[in-house]
Formats: sequence, structure tokens, C-alpha cells
Amino acid sequence: MRYSSFDCLIVERRGPVGWLVNNRPDQLNAMSAQMRDEFAVAWKELDADPEVRVIVHTGEGRAFQTGVDVTEIATDGQGMERYRDSVANFDLHFTAWHQQVWKPVITAVNGLCAGGAFHWVADADIVIAASDAQFFDPHVSVGQVVAIEAIGLLRKMPVEAVMRMAFVGKYERLSAPRAYELGMISQIVDPPEQLRDEAQALAEKIAKNSPAAMRATKRALWGALELGLTDACRAGAGELVSMWGHPDQAEGPRAFAERRDPNWRVDE
Amino acid sequence: MSRYETLIVERRGAVGWLQFDRPDVGNAMNATMLDELERAWAELDADPDVRVIVNTGSGKSFQTGLDVVELSANPEALREQARRTRRAELRLTAWHNSVWKPVIAAVNGTCAGGGLHFVADADIVIASSDATFLDPHVSIGQVTAYEAIALVRKSPMEPIMRMALTGRHERLTAARAYELGILSQVVDPPEQLAVEAQALAETIAKNSPTAMRATKRALWGALELGLTDACRAGAQELVSMWGHPDQTEGPLAFVERREARWLPLEAQNREG
Repeated sequence: MRYSSFDCLIVERRGPVGWLVNNRPDQLNAMSAQMRDEFAVAWKELDADPEVRVIVHTGEGRAFQTGVDVTEIATDGQGMERYRDSVANFDLHFTAWHQQVWKPVITAVNGLCAGGAFHWVADADIVIAASDAQFFDPHVSVGQVVAIEAIGLLRKMPVEAVMRMAFVGKYERLSAPRAYELGMISQIVDPPEQLRDEAQALAEKIAKNSPAAMRATKRALWGALELGLTDACRAGAGELVSMWGHPDQAEGPRAFAERRDPNWRVDE
Repeated sequence: MSRYETLIVERRGAVGWLQFDRPDVGNAMNATMLDELERAWAELDADPDVRVIVNTGSGKSFQTGLDVVELSANPEALREQARRTRRAELRLTAWHNSVWKPVIAAVNGTCAGGGLHFVADADIVIASSDATFLDPHVSIGQVTAYEAIALVRKSPMEPIMRMALTGRHERLTAARAYELGILSQVVDPPEQLAVEAQALAETIAKNSPTAMRATKRALWGALELGLTDACRAGAQELVSMWGHPDQTEGPLAFVERREARWLPLEAQNREG
């Protein structure tokens, strides 16, 4: 599949792995209005490409991402007002979760991860980081509110650490080892230069699993964050049963018995 | 600050201190303290010079829950507390009292039973290296509910269940609480706790009070709702700040390499 051409992102496929790379390294990958629009398209294209089984999201240069492009906000005469309606209506389109991508998404944090960058930590399924990655949320230090990114993180890791980051602002950074201890990330890559190789290797492992089963699993687990426990189990049961009778459920055990890789059915 | 019998309530710079002060009985809450807590949170919340609040205890304990001995001699106070408990109308913690300034719990020693309310309901928790946590409720035939319900939202659940079910027969150490993300800083030696708490609070006090208030509302509000609904509600807190003078002052101060001059919190109607 041919992807659109992007100015602020690199979008490409390596084997079964779709790559989405933030590509404004001179601005520490801060999100301009154009980049915001490109994210919406890129996620949809990677999701639509049947060759892509797993998506990795990372950044060029020394930052993973550093939130909204403050220079553009300060100079383009529109500022945050440009985004008022989309934020007020929670009509956002720049993460995989916003775009309802049900393929597995790995965020590979390659360096600085600040403020709005937590959107892609919160909304990924799996997060790994280079050993020199650093996390902090400077919003309240510049008079901004922390909300949506941290609300996502609160569901997924110990809350106190999220609150401390929110209130300490720019005056403290969370290291990759502490993020690992807290379960915010599951793997630290050292040396940092190995991050993309490790991300590709992890993604290829995941790509060996049934795409249909992973899609239903992802729906069940993210759906569970919307509901109380019993309701979440009821909704999850629906996803579970949806897979019964799918060809992958016969192919999986057969491939195991025949000691070969399964040939999964690719829908659409 | 007004006078208190069972608490030390004072301001040090931008930091308000609320210190349990019944060290001879593990800072347990008697009828007087129950009244004074409500008054102290309101007073600290209303003081415009207080940007951040630190909650700690005098002596070897942080807080060890209700003073059952003294309350049993005071049937009226006990009845009132029972009524509030039944109706989920407690007024012990900052969260109960709708305090939207950042609150740091600085756990200086034993934190037992009802003392866990103040850990569960703080934004940030730090502890001295010799602090311990336990929940003896079931060991004396009482149920654990509110404190643990909040804690299971905020930290891995298994250790909270273990604490609830082992009762007085086991303690969680500060070091393990740090590993679990129940707290974010262990202070050693323990005597340094107040100094470290003041330093952390002063750091936080450099941030925009209005932005922190909206942030606190968004994040605590998120614990009430499913993810998408929480994001929708949080988005309203986000947008509520747009156009506020702090949003131009923040970047300006950064460019001019000086401390930001934030607007003080606007007076607001207290809830409840």
C-alpha cells in the first residue's frame, strides 16, 4: 500500500510492522497544526494497510515528542483558539485511540517526553523507552491545565506518580528506570541506539499472533476502562464469543500440532 | 491561623501545614480533632497566601484512625461520626472537604487504619524511611471500606487487599510502598522529612495556582467516570483555563527568564 506523503511524519512499513515517526526534530517533535492533521491520516492509513499487523510510534532526534508547538501558538495569531472546538467537544484525532486503531500499537520513547507527549504514552498498548528517556509534564508551570493525557495514564499506572508529575511541572523529571518500576513502560533499551531494533523485534513477535484475536482482545481491554468491573466483564464476554467459529481458532491448534507458523486469516 | 487544640496549623512561606498533634495517642482522632480537621482544611483552603498544603503528624505516628477509647466516652460525637460514615459524608481529609489546592501527605511514622484516608486522599505522598502502613480494622472486627476503595483506584490492588486482610499482623514498609507507587519519595534520615516536604511544596508553589486547581479537579474527577467520559469532563477543565492571564504570563516569564507572577486563586463558592 502506498501511503500519503507527509511533511511532519515518516510513515513506512518494515515487514509486518508499520512505523509512524515524529519528524520535526528541530522543534523537538512539537505538534504543529499541520502535524496534528497528518496524524489523523497516518493512523488511518496504517490501520487500513492489510500488510501492517503491528504499529510502532517513535520520534526523530533527541525528543520523542514535546506537546503542542508553542512557537506556532504564540505567533500564528490564532493560538489555542484554533483548537477550542475540537478540545471542548473531545473530538481529537491524533492518537491511535482517538482514531480507533485496533491493531496493537507500541510507543517507543526515544528521548524527551514532555507534556502533550503523554497522549501517545497513555493511548499506546505497549510502551518501551531508551535508557536515557525522560518524562515530565510542564503544563502547570506555564499556566496550562493537565487533563486528558493524565486521565488516560491514571487508569494504567499508580496514580500518585501521575499526580506528582502533574503538580511538580517542569521542576522534576521521571527517569526511564522509575517509569519501568511503576509499570508505565515494560522495557528499557540500553544502549539507547538499539531502541528501534528492539521495537521492531518486539513488534515482529506480536505480529506472529492472530490479528483477529488481538483486535478483539484490544477492544475488550480498552473497553474495560470505560466501565465498572462486572459491566466490563460482560462487554468483554461479547468480544470473547465474537471470535468463536473464526478460522484462526482452528488454524492455531493445527499449526501447533504441525510444528509450523500459523497462517492467520487477514480480514478486509 | 485560628487556635487549635489537637492540630498544629500554620503557614511557612507559601506552604500551609496541617499537623496532627496528639502524639501520646498516635495522633488518633477524637471528637475535637474531627471538628478541627474540617475547620483547618477550610482555613488553609481560604488563605490566599497558602499555595500548597502539607499534612503530617507529631511524634512517632502519622495517624492511627479514630480514638475509639475517647469516642466511646462521648456518645454524641460517636453518633455524629457514625451518621456521617453511613451517609459517606466524612469531613476528615482534603478530598472530603473539597480542597482543590495541591496536598502532600508526609507520612512521618505509623499510618494505621483510618490514617490511610489521608494517604488515599492526598495528591502526593512522601514518607520517612521508618514509616509503616497497616490496616488493623478486621483484627478488631471492623470493616475496611473508604480508605481502601480509594487506594485500589490509585495503586496496584493486591497489596491493598493484603493489607486489609492481614490486619494488624503485618506492616507495609515505606520502601515497598515506594516500589508500588503508593508514594513517590522516601526520606532518609527520617528527621529530614519536614524539610523535604517543605522543599517539594515550595517547588510546586511555583506553578500556576489556577492551572493546578483545574488540573486537580480534572484528575480526581476522572476517578469517578469511565475513560471517555472522564476525558470529556477533563476537556472542560482544560478549556476553562483558556484566556486566563496565567496562560500568557507563563510563557512570558519563561522568555524573560524570571519567576512567573501568577494570579491568586479567585474566591469560589465552597461545595458541600
